[in-house]
Amino acid sequence: MKMNSRILIMALIVIPLLSGTPAAGQYNNYSRMTQIIKNLASEYSSVCSARSLVKTAGGKDIWLLSVGTGDRDNKPAIAIIGGVEGNHILGKELALGFASSLLKDYQTPEVRDLLNRLTFYIIPDVSPDATEQFFAGLKYERILNARPVDDDRDFSVSEDPFEDLNQDGYITLVRIRDPSGSYMESPEDKRIMVTADLAEGQAGSWLVISEGIDNDKDGRFNEDGEGGVCFNRNFSFNYEEFGPGAGLHAVSEPESKAVADFLFDRFNIYATFSFGPQDNLGQPMKASDRPAQGRMVTSITKSDETINKLVSDKYHEITGAKGAPAAPDSRGNFMEWAYYHYGRYSFSTPGWWYPVEKGKNNEAAFLRFAEKNKMNDVFVPWTAINHPDFPGKQAEVGGIKPFAMINPPADTLPDLISANYRFIKAIAELHPELEFLDLKTENPGEDVYRLTLKVHNKGIFATCAEVGNQNIWTRIMRITVEPSKGQTILSGQKVQRIPRLGGDQSEEFSWLISGKGNVTIRAGAINTGTITETINLR
Amino acid sequence: MKTTIIKSLLIFFFSSLSPALCSQSAELFFKAAGSPANPKVQVSWNKYYTYQGITDLCRRLEKAYPDLVTMESAGKSYQGRDIIALTISCKKNMDPGLKPGFYIDGNIHSNEIQGTEMALYTAWYLCEMFGENQFINKLLKDKVFYILPTINPDAREYFMHEPNTASSPRSGLVPVDNDRDGLYDEDGYDDLNGDGMISQMRRKNPDGQYRADPKDPRRMVRVAPGEKGDYELLGLEGIDNDGDGLVNEDGPGGYDPNRDWGFNWQPAYVQSGAGKYPFTFPENQAVRDFGLKHRNIAASQSFHNSGGMILRGPSIQGGGAEVYSRADEEAINAIGKKGELIIPGYRFLTIWKDLYTVYGGEVDWWYGAMGSYVYSNELWTSYLMFYDTANTDQYEFDRLLLFEDAFIPWQEVDHPVYGKVEVGGFSKNFGRTHPGFLLESDAHRNAAFCIYNAWVTPELVVSDVKVKNLGSGLKEVTATVSNRQLLPTHSGTNLRYKIDPPDYCYIEGGTVIAGMIVIDADRNINAEQKRNPARIEIENIAGYQSIKLKWLVKGGNNFTVRVESVKGGRASARSE
Repeated sequence: MKMNSRILIMALIVIPLLSGTPAAGQYNNYSRMTQIIKNLASEYSSVCSARSLVKTAGGKDIWLLSVGTGDRDNKPAIAIIGGVEGNHILGKELALGFASSLLKDYQTPEVRDLLNRLTFYIIPDVSPDATEQFFAGLKYERILNARPVDDDRDFSVSEDPFEDLNQDGYITLVRIRDPSGSYMESPEDKRIMVTADLAEGQAGSWLVISEGIDNDKDGRFNEDGEGGVCFNRNFSFNYEEFGPGAGLHAVSEPESKAVADFLFDRFNIYATFSFGPQDNLGQPMKASDRPAQGRMVTSITKSDETINKLVSDKYHEITGAKGAPAAPDSRGNFMEWAYYHYGRYSFSTPGWWYPVEKGKNNEAAFLRFAEKNKMNDVFVPWTAINHPDFPGKQAEVGGIKPFAMINPPADTLPDLISANYRFIKAIAELHPELEFLDLKTENPGEDVYRLTLKVHNKGIFATCAEVGNQNIWTRIMRITVEPSKGQTILSGQKVQRIPRLGGDQSEEFSWLISGKGNVTIRAGAINTGTITETINLR
Repeated sequence: MKTTIIKSLLIFFFSSLSPALCSQSAELFFKAAGSPANPKVQVSWNKYYTYQGITDLCRRLEKAYPDLVTMESAGKSYQGRDIIALTISCKKNMDPGLKPGFYIDGNIHSNEIQGTEMALYTAWYLCEMFGENQFINKLLKDKVFYILPTINPDAREYFMHEPNTASSPRSGLVPVDNDRDGLYDEDGYDDLNGDGMISQMRRKNPDGQYRADPKDPRRMVRVAPGEKGDYELLGLEGIDNDGDGLVNEDGPGGYDPNRDWGFNWQPAYVQSGAGKYPFTFPENQAVRDFGLKHRNIAASQSFHNSGGMILRGPSIQGGGAEVYSRADEEAINAIGKKGELIIPGYRFLTIWKDLYTVYGGEVDWWYGAMGSYVYSNELWTSYLMFYDTANTDQYEFDRLLLFEDAFIPWQEVDHPVYGKVEVGGFSKNFGRTHPGFLLESDAHRNAAFCIYNAWVTPELVVSDVKVKNLGSGLKEVTATVSNRQLLPTHSGTNLRYKIDPPDYCYIEGGTVIAGMIVIDADRNINAEQKRNPARIEIENIAGYQSIKLKWLVKGGNNFTVRVESVKGGRASARSE
């Protein structure tokens, strides 16, 4: 009996281990992702640990994987964030895929060496309440967490959700033939509905609404469904007070607060990569993007622009991706927060897109792209239904399937994961790194020694992003002289600040010390690593 | 036997000392106008109360006035103290949560301690005058006060019990690494002479630029060009504890709790003192949650010091996302001007324009995010010393009225780096806080301003409920809903962002067929509400505005019309 129960327990442990192995080419729902994270942490326990940062309103964990050797929290680090916007399931797979790929390679000399120098913090899904909608029976592009919010501010909460009128499991569109409507079929692709252009002599003959009924009879459709707050609108840079999905105030949600707290507490992080709609890899940020507003920094600074351009070039070169469309300007997003308010290098890409043309309809372009790439299951053909809010009128359900335009077919995932993994690994090699140069001792007379040296950043990235230099949530490097017993510092400070060093920049320091013996010099900060040298004065 | 007598004597002795049980006997006094004749809760208003003292006073108020006072915790401070919240209103006539609310907090800045006493005085005065004054009786029947005497209890204690200046700390006590070296709070002030105060350091120096003022040698004055001085000033008492060449640059805390609010928030490189994000600090989280639970707070006051100002928003140019409507401007300015009259020496000013720009301030949060009107009084002004704006000589005031009680005489101490220095200057309870004898009168004036402000929150009345028979069982019911006070039920921001629901007006007594707001009765212009006409939605009832309503009803004889407004309270009337 005893024996049996042990076997049973063993079996219980073993089965999920097997089923939780990341399968190539599939999107992983919350429970599979959780299992994969746990498996990675147990399989690679010497270089990886996993823990939950917080639970969301929907009761889901925000998982963190820490990857590195030795004292992980005391080495320069990179944070990688997925699920930044809940309808972008790809981001979650790219972040999770990065962790799996890195860990699988951890015994290669290249990765082992990298992990000796740097730590990677990976948070694969910061919007688990929303991403799960992709795997649910009823699929719609959800970006809101599970906090009950009165989206339409009519003082009833979540009273007007979508309804799957044609029972196909997808929320698409409803079009109603109505002379008062302003929509017509697109001349580019008859399946697509566009607004008629009076300037072209066009008049609309359809109403178009999202799939569902007007539950609260306010004349608007599906404007107050489940949730919520959008992680990617809940951050403090360019935050929109009372904006849709923005939350009660910036960083109001358990998950955004937990992620921000984790990042703020880790002063060793010098760069973040996030996967979401923001894109400064396809098109780097420009120093002239937005006019400055008083003390607020609203455009990338000059020297950070140089690094962003370099990283963007590497992105194109390593992943082979090209032709990224301009990212939408959106308020309260994570990527810009990580740069402007967290003060770190911040990079983001949606990871996948389809070619668009200026002046052409994006949806039609997507359908052409889908056809060319044999993505056969992206459109729900218009089918007649009876819509209770439009009795006696011709109503049809149809349209592009949710998620299809921003999440590629699952069989493309292995290649995308591999390309983004190789890219981040290559960028990590550009990390700031300090060394002492031109160390010199002179003896002007008696027992007096002049000690001179340079602190050099041999990395390509600066020791701190320029935007973070004035930010109290970044550290300032110090250089410290520790004389031994009997020695005195005659000139110069025991502790001094080292100014921010750009890539390949250095700063000279000099002291006058009396007395023979060893002097120990330490230089750096937690985000650059600390270097030490002991000099014998004699 | 003997011991029993001693015991009972002791009990008598102590219970007579215990102020909670003590009103004076009527033969002993003659009432002064406007003050409670014989308060049940005896309080001295010429001193400052520690956290324990505040707790004790609040408990005594609650015990003495259970029908008026509820004492609760709004949440915990960083060090685990309760943020005490008093709810004061007549509990018998209506649930206080349904009345228009007035909110008061004090001491958000740790050193600005007297906001607490102003808040406590208001609480005490309201309780002690209830039953004694007709105006206060009506006020507490109609309105509710939410009073949080200190929303920064940790650093209040730190200010009082640890070495500080009159200006330190502004911060709460969550550790912050101000010099960004990885060490937290490692280089604060050092109390070199061990007197519990941080004052100035001076050192004899033949090349110094300062000398003692011949008129009052306690004061250091800068010498005129060409004259010889004999002292140099070396800043506030302290040493370079972390050896980085800077003195006192990373003391306890090191942030500004009034740059932490979730409206118009900006990070520390834009707005110094800000935390990581809005509501970084637990005390402010507690106030936020308290505010969200009490949406009936129609107006509010946040006490600061100093300078004698009645401050209004916005705190940034243009107001950010706030909406100051013309109606709001008029109401806010009218109340502020009344404040200048109530509190002589205080000026009514706009924060960004007349003071400085503040991002993430509490004032903007109350108005912008909560839709509540708000003022912030900067307590104490040097005008109060001689009732004179020209003569504001602190040394003379200290000499003539405080008998040099506020000055720490210069005293020689050894400094580890500077050698022999002298330490002296004004003590931390002078310069920004009221001297004892002026505290009660300014507390009364500031309380009176709060009371005025609470009184002008909306007062809704339903009147003229009339029924007209239209034949075939159909009746027309009309009613008037009026606001008999200055403030509207909804501020500009509240209307724009729909922070609160509209005012709901219900009719009971028949089956409603149609309902409408009468725009122009003479010309029969109405705004019909097609959905749910038994509950007419009124977007806003402005100050001194009356709104006529009309229903077409089937059946019923007696009708009740009732209005419900989150910030405007409740009212109802029956048909005649």
